[in-house]
Amino acid sequence: MRYNRTEIARNIGFSSIIDEKFKTGSLTVRFMTRLSGETAAANALGIGALSSSSADFPTLAKLNEKLSSLYGAGLSTFARKRGDVQILGLTASWLTKKYAFDGEDVDREMLSLIRGCIFSPNVKDGEFDAESYAITKKDLLDRIDAELNNKRGYALSRASEVAFRGEPAEYSCYGSKESAAAVDSAGAYSAYKELLSDAQVEIFYIAPVEDPGFCDMFRESFSGMSRTPSPVVFRTPSPLSSEVNTDSDEYDVRQCKMVMTFKTSSEDFFAVKMLSTIFGETPVSKLFMNVREKMSLCYYCASRVVSAKGAIMVDSGVERANIEKAKAEILGQLEEIKKGNITDSETESALLSIENTVNQIGDTPASYSGWYFERFCEGNSRSPEEQLALYREVTKERIIEAAKSLSLDSVYLMLDKEADA
Amino acid sequence: MEKNIITSPRTGDSCIHVKHSSGLDIYICEMPGFSSVEALFGTKYGSVNTMFRQKGDADYTVVPEGIAHFLEHKLFENEDCDVFELYAKTGASGNAFTSFDKTAYLFSCSQNYQESLRILLDFVQKPYFTQATVDKEQGIIGQEIQMTNDSPEWRVFFNMLSCMYHEHPVKIDIAGTVESIAKIDADLLYKCYYTFYNLNNMVLSIAGNISADEVLAICDECLKPCEDKGLETVFPDEPEDIVKSEIYEVQPVGASIFNIGYKCRPCSGAERLKRSAAASIVSSMLADASSDMYQKLLKEEVINSSFDTEVFTGDGYFSVIFSGESSQPGRVRDALADEVDRWLSEGICSKDFQRIKKSTYGMLVRMLNNVESVANLMMNSHMEGTGPYDMISVLSELTEEDALEFLRNEFRRDRLVMSVIKGDEQ
Repeated sequence: MRYNRTEIARNIGFSSIIDEKFKTGSLTVRFMTRLSGETAAANALGIGALSSSSADFPTLAKLNEKLSSLYGAGLSTFARKRGDVQILGLTASWLTKKYAFDGEDVDREMLSLIRGCIFSPNVKDGEFDAESYAITKKDLLDRIDAELNNKRGYALSRASEVAFRGEPAEYSCYGSKESAAAVDSAGAYSAYKELLSDAQVEIFYIAPVEDPGFCDMFRESFSGMSRTPSPVVFRTPSPLSSEVNTDSDEYDVRQCKMVMTFKTSSEDFFAVKMLSTIFGETPVSKLFMNVREKMSLCYYCASRVVSAKGAIMVDSGVERANIEKAKAEILGQLEEIKKGNITDSETESALLSIENTVNQIGDTPASYSGWYFERFCEGNSRSPEEQLALYREVTKERIIEAAKSLSLDSVYLMLDKEADA
Repeated sequence: MEKNIITSPRTGDSCIHVKHSSGLDIYICEMPGFSSVEALFGTKYGSVNTMFRQKGDADYTVVPEGIAHFLEHKLFENEDCDVFELYAKTGASGNAFTSFDKTAYLFSCSQNYQESLRILLDFVQKPYFTQATVDKEQGIIGQEIQMTNDSPEWRVFFNMLSCMYHEHPVKIDIAGTVESIAKIDADLLYKCYYTFYNLNNMVLSIAGNISADEVLAICDECLKPCEDKGLETVFPDEPEDIVKSEIYEVQPVGASIFNIGYKCRPCSGAERLKRSAAASIVSSMLADASSDMYQKLLKEEVINSSFDTEVFTGDGYFSVIFSGESSQPGRVRDALADEVDRWLSEGICSKDFQRIKKSTYGMLVRMLNNVESVANLMMNSHMEGTGPYDMISVLSELTEEDALEFLRNEFRRDRLVMSVIKGDEQ
C-alpha cells in the first residue's frame, strides 16, 4: 500500500492510497464546516443536489443510466457530523477497467462524471435545476421524518441534543425539518458555492493502480476559484452541566431506551478509549457481562466514545420497570473501574479487541478513507501500527484516571406509553 | 480428502472446496493482500425447519417456532464459560445469526485466526444445555422479540409474509413468539442439535489472510466424524394463492413504509439460481432510478430514493419485494402492476436489460473484493446447492426471454400483496 497526501490548494488535501488488491476505484470528497442550525439544512441540500443530476447528465434518470452502464458504479452524497463540525461529502466507487468485459475505460468515465457533478452542477440562472432539486429536497425531508423509524439511532440523536445543548453539536447534520423546508434551490446552490469557497476539503482516492488524473483534475478545478477557507476546530470538549439533565419522550414502543452521557476533561484519548472498551464496547465488557448477562436488565447496553466532544455515551434497551436499576448498575460498574477493579484479562482483551479492529484497516477502501480522515481531524497521519503502539503503552493507572475524569452529564429516556397508563 | 479448486472463468477468482472425511463441506479462499479473516460455521437449519425426521424415524417431529434461534443463543454458552470469553483471549470478534434457512456461527479477526478457528469448531460441536440456563434465555430472547417488534422494517416485512403464506413457517418471526419459546426445554434443544448439527448438514467457509493447509490441519484436529443420518425436512402444503392482498399496522414512525411483494413459485438448486437471476434483473429494471415507473412516481412525490427491491427465496418460498417510504403506497402498487402489464404487452427494453445485467455483474464482482462477502458467498451458495461463482456465469447467459418468462409467470396481480406501517397521524 502506498499512502500520500498532498495539499493541492490552501486547506484542500488530496490523499492517494494505492493498494493493488482492490478490484475497484473509489473517491470520497469531504467538505468540512462549522455545524450551525442556520446553515445545516442548506448545506445538506446543496451537497445532496450533486447526486441528482449534473450539467452533463441533467436528470436523475440520465445520471443513473450512465452509472449503471458503468457496471453499476456507485455515486452518492452524505451529510454527517463530527462534534461541532458538519461534514458534507460525495463518494463514488466503480469497477476498474480490468474487469470491464466490453473494454470501456471506466476510470476515465468516472473521472469525468465526478468532475461534472462537483464542478459543473446542473444549475440555471443561479439555482439548481428545479426538477432535480425537488427530488433532493423531498429526500432530505423524508430522511428527517424517518429518523424516528430507527428507535436506537433516534434515542442517541435526542441524547446528543440534550447533552450538547447550546453547542453546535446539538444540531442534526441534516438541520431541522422547518429549516430544510425553507431552503429553495437558489439558497441550496448558494450554500454549495460557499462550501466550495470557504470549507476545508479533504479528498481520498483509493485504487489498485496510480492514476494522477484524479489529483490533477481537482487541482485544476480548484485553481480557478477564489477561496477564503476557514479552518474548522475538530475537538471542542463539551462542558459538564451543573446538574444531571434528564429529558424524555413517550412513544408507543415496547422497549424503552436509555442513553446516559458522561463527560470528561481528559486529554488522554488512548486511555479514554481503553476505558470505554473495558466498560461497554465488547461482549466481555463490564456492562455486557453484568447489566445484560448476569442481571438481565437490558437487552443491549453499550458504550461509545464521542472524542470530538470529550464524551462517552452509554445506550441501552430496557424495560421501564428496570430503568432505575439499570442506571444504578451502569454507574456501579463505572465506580468499579474508578476503584481500580480491572483485571489483567479485561485490559488484555480490550487491547486485543482494539488491535483486531485497527489491523483490519485497509481491507476495504472505506476503511482506508475513514482511517486517514480521522487522523487528519486529530492532526496527525499515524499508520494503524503507529496508533496501536500508543494503545499498548496505556497502563491500568491511566485507565483508572480516565474513569475518574468521567461525570454523568445527562440522561435521555424514550419511554413506552402503555406502562404509563 | 480431495481438494477441488473452483475458479471463476470470468474474473479468475478461485477458492478451494474439500469434502472432509468427517462429512463437513469446507470452502477456503486465500485472499493475498488482505489482513482480516472471516470464518463461518453454518448449518442448514433455520426458523422454517420446524418439521423433520431422520432415517428410521416413523413420524415427523414438530418443534416450537423460534427453536433454531434459541439453540443458536444457547450454543454460545459452554459448560465452563461464555464463548465470548474464549474469543476475548484471541481478539476475534465472534457472533452468530439465525435466518429462515440457516444458522451460522462466525468470527472475524486480524490475528491468531488459528486459535479462533479451533474455538469455533470446538464450541459448535459441544452442546451444553441445562433447564436453568434455558429458563434464563427465555427472558433474554423475550426482550429481543419485544425490541424487534419496535422495528418498523421488521414488522412491515413479516406482515407482508403473513399476507403471502398460508402455512409455510417463513411467515413466523425467526425468534418465534414469547408463547412458542416458552415450550422449549433442554431435551428439545438436544434433539434439534443432534438432528441438524450433523457435519453432513453443515459447512465451514473461511476467507482472507489464511493458509488452506493450515485450515485443513486444524479441521483434521478438531472435527469429529459424523454418520450421515439421512435428514429429511418437510414443509406444510402451501397453496399457490395469497392469504390476503393488504395489511396495515400503526407504529410510532416518522415516515410510512411499505413492502409490496409478488408471491412466486418456489424452486431449488440450479433452477432457483437461474430464476433468482431473472427475478433480480426484472425487479431491478422496474425499480431502477432511470426507469419510467420510478421517474413517474418520483415526480409525483409518491416515492423517494429509499425505493428498492430484493429477491427473497429459500426452501419452499420465493418472492420479489419492492420496499420504500411513501404516504401513498397504494399508488406504488398500482403503478407497479400497470407497468408489468405494459411490459408484457410491449416487451422489455433490450438496452435496459443489457445495462441492468452489466450493473448486476459489477455488483457481483465487487463482492469478491471483500473478505466478509466472499466467506458469506461460499457458504450461501453451498447451502443453495450451487457454486460460489455460478451466479456470475448464469447471469452472463441470461436472455431477455428468460426475464420476460419470469415476469409473465410470476408477476401476477392476484399474487401481489402490500404491507404498510404508518404513524398515528398518517
